[in-house]
Amino acid sequence: MSQITKCEIQLEGKPADSVLEMPEPRKLFIPLESVRFSFDSVEVEENRSVQPGQVLARDLNNFSVPLLAPRAGKVKLGEIKNHIVLDEITQQEEEPYDHREDEAHIPQEMGSVGLKRYKLLALGAWQFVYDAHSSKLPDPFGTPRAVIVSTVNLEPYTAQGEAQLQKRLADFTRGLEHLQSLLEYQPIYLVMPDINSEFSRQLRESIRGYAWVKPVQIAPKYPGDNFAVIARKLGFNKEKDSPVWAMRTEAILAIDRALTLSKPSTVRIISFGGPMVKEPIHLKVMPGYPLKDILAERLESGPVRIIDGGVLTGAMVSEQQKGLTAECNGLTVLQEHSEREFLSFIRPGSDRQSYGKCFLSSFRGAFKERLNTALRGELRPCVACGFCEEVCPAGIMPYLIHKTLYSGELEDVEQMRVDLCVGCGMCSFVCPSKIDLRGEFVKAQEDIERELHAEEVQS
Amino acid sequence: MKILRKLFDSTRRHFDEGGTFGAFKPLYEAMENFFYGPATRTGTAPHVRDPLDLKRYMTMVIIALLPATLAGIYFYGLRTLAIIVVSYAVGGTIEVIFAVIRKEEINEGFLVTGLLFPLVLPPTIPLWMVGVGVAFGVLVGKEIFGGTGRNLFNPALVGRCFLALGYPSEMSAVWLKPGEGLTGSLLQWYDTAAVTGATPLGQAKLGEWANIGSLLWGTTTGCIGETCAIGIILGGIFLILTKVANWRTVVSSLGSFVILAAAFNIADPDRFGPVYWHVFAGGLLLGVFFMATDPVSSPNTNGGKWFYGIIIGTVTVLIRNLTGYVEGMMFAILLGNIVAPMLDEAVVYVRLRRLQNER
Repeated sequence: MSQITKCEIQLEGKPADSVLEMPEPRKLFIPLESVRFSFDSVEVEENRSVQPGQVLARDLNNFSVPLLAPRAGKVKLGEIKNHIVLDEITQQEEEPYDHREDEAHIPQEMGSVGLKRYKLLALGAWQFVYDAHSSKLPDPFGTPRAVIVSTVNLEPYTAQGEAQLQKRLADFTRGLEHLQSLLEYQPIYLVMPDINSEFSRQLRESIRGYAWVKPVQIAPKYPGDNFAVIARKLGFNKEKDSPVWAMRTEAILAIDRALTLSKPSTVRIISFGGPMVKEPIHLKVMPGYPLKDILAERLESGPVRIIDGGVLTGAMVSEQQKGLTAECNGLTVLQEHSEREFLSFIRPGSDRQSYGKCFLSSFRGAFKERLNTALRGELRPCVACGFCEEVCPAGIMPYLIHKTLYSGELEDVEQMRVDLCVGCGMCSFVCPSKIDLRGEFVKAQEDIERELHAEEVQS
Repeated sequence: MKILRKLFDSTRRHFDEGGTFGAFKPLYEAMENFFYGPATRTGTAPHVRDPLDLKRYMTMVIIALLPATLAGIYFYGLRTLAIIVVSYAVGGTIEVIFAVIRKEEINEGFLVTGLLFPLVLPPTIPLWMVGVGVAFGVLVGKEIFGGTGRNLFNPALVGRCFLALGYPSEMSAVWLKPGEGLTGSLLQWYDTAAVTGATPLGQAKLGEWANIGSLLWGTTTGCIGETCAIGIILGGIFLILTKVANWRTVVSSLGSFVILAAAFNIADPDRFGPVYWHVFAGGLLLGVFFMATDPVSSPNTNGGKWFYGIIIGTVTVLIRNLTGYVEGMMFAILLGNIVAPMLDEAVVYVRLRRLQNER
């Protein structure tokens, strides 16, 4: 296992820790696609009224994970493509969950634990859980080797556990207890930021006496917070049929709500940051919340790019998307680059931070930079400078995989262990030739799974 | 600067496909992107990028070469400038022609080759020979392999090797004595009276050891950019600090050179000369800091770089001391370039074996 990288990215527009509660929406636009899920199996009909917490659709490829209605309202299916629209929204108290009808789905031998786990799936808490190595949704009835709970998000502009946990530390601790009751003997690793901080102290105070929670401190440098990186650092390598579960703060809060109150969790706290946001902050919202209402009056003027997630791994929000996705844990707004700077490559560069120490900024201390979507150079062939390998947290050789993808067979690429790539995006970030390494590797991983391992999946 | 911007905007249509000069689009784009940072945006995550691009990366090498280049101009006269201009003009033309034929963009790598090449030539070289050499170097050393990033050899050294083998007398028989005093040779084009027959390494074969001070400052005979050891070391350290040159190559080649040269010196002090003298004489420093560290033609893996450096350092000592050749740097690096892919292959094999066990 190689060391966590030494590259520091400090950007302007970090969301403040305070939370802004957004006003009740009049209409919700719930996208059917999110990063991991596509809720293709719609279970409601046009013009039907739905109760809060009712299942709108399911993703049959992901353990039938449900898309829940965040509010009571009237369903409009055809109004906007790939969205379920809820009109005539009213705020009603959710009915507590009644599990009797679902008992058939639960493996008999799991008993009450099976029931609890099914409850998590049905009440929308399970969707926040990840397989640490593959980032996919793990089997809710599987047996993990360990569980990682992270309160740290190091990617610029993403939601911070510190903000999400304000006044909810008691819920969080109770959620951890519920989580532990789902397990047999497996340890729960609680990842915290700087061990000397006030937040960290409160956290440790609240879990005092919980021998099954092991506090872990990680270096505050991206991508040290990546689940796969943490898992491998803790000594858990990828093993088939024995996953490591990983989740962030919002998952624990959802688990608490599901198992204490038997209620679904739809409302949550997301980050809203980036250089183009006037007041970067955290927002209390629900899936489907109209993007228009979030963005109105809150952005600087000029062309912007909205990103679902952080600047390094997030996905661009398309024009067609009208509301927050079910998985969204932060919105980032960057300025779309359009200006052409005169003789930009020979500027001294005391205002630009770089991994390669080719700018005068190397002589200053760390500072926050206002970045936009500029590629900041032209696409060039790889010159084998080796920066990508130096920053890679997975210990693979990005330039070699890139060259092999260009000229060789997919089998060779598999030999180079492209599957270890955690998708952190550091290699693409530092590449002076501006090669889209992360994109190539993500695609190669998919191709390998589809073309080389299709039979394994079937059998 | 608005005038320039307007000029680009008003002439753009002529260079678009179907325009009068449609074929020269790469040239137009190279010029425009030289003066104005490109407007390109990121398409996918990561949405922000590091400010370092290949132009800046290559510019660092040119900045690092400045002390040695200025010393060359100071010691050997203004004709040096003409040599640099010819090198850039001829090599640049070939680069543009290939970009036009391939319909690809013009790459920045040539900015470095165009300056490195004159620095390894003797100051008395005829200008036409500079043109022939750089043309051969760029064409055979780089373009036929597919251009920047794919070349097996360092193009500047391929050009020099061609000249050294094709025109041995012009390349090694006549040298220029350096200018002296406050202005050096800065006020003259080319001092024909200052011609001499040997470099310090050549004299060393006859048992005459040049003064170490003159080797450090560069007040000696030799190729244009190789004599001023202090300037080269300053530039080289700059290059290592900016991460453009890899320190592993430098340390391993200098280290192996020093160790082997010391062994020779202990065996026969009268014949082989002291180690420090060898380090500062000839083209060793220029080659180690600026040629061996070329990321494309050196091994890509860090492990490979160590072995590569050892090969270069060792072969240089062997050629210098045991063969009829006076200087071995050029052959050592070209030999290193040849074995670089094999070294990579071996290191990658080992690393992949290790990666196989990771899960």
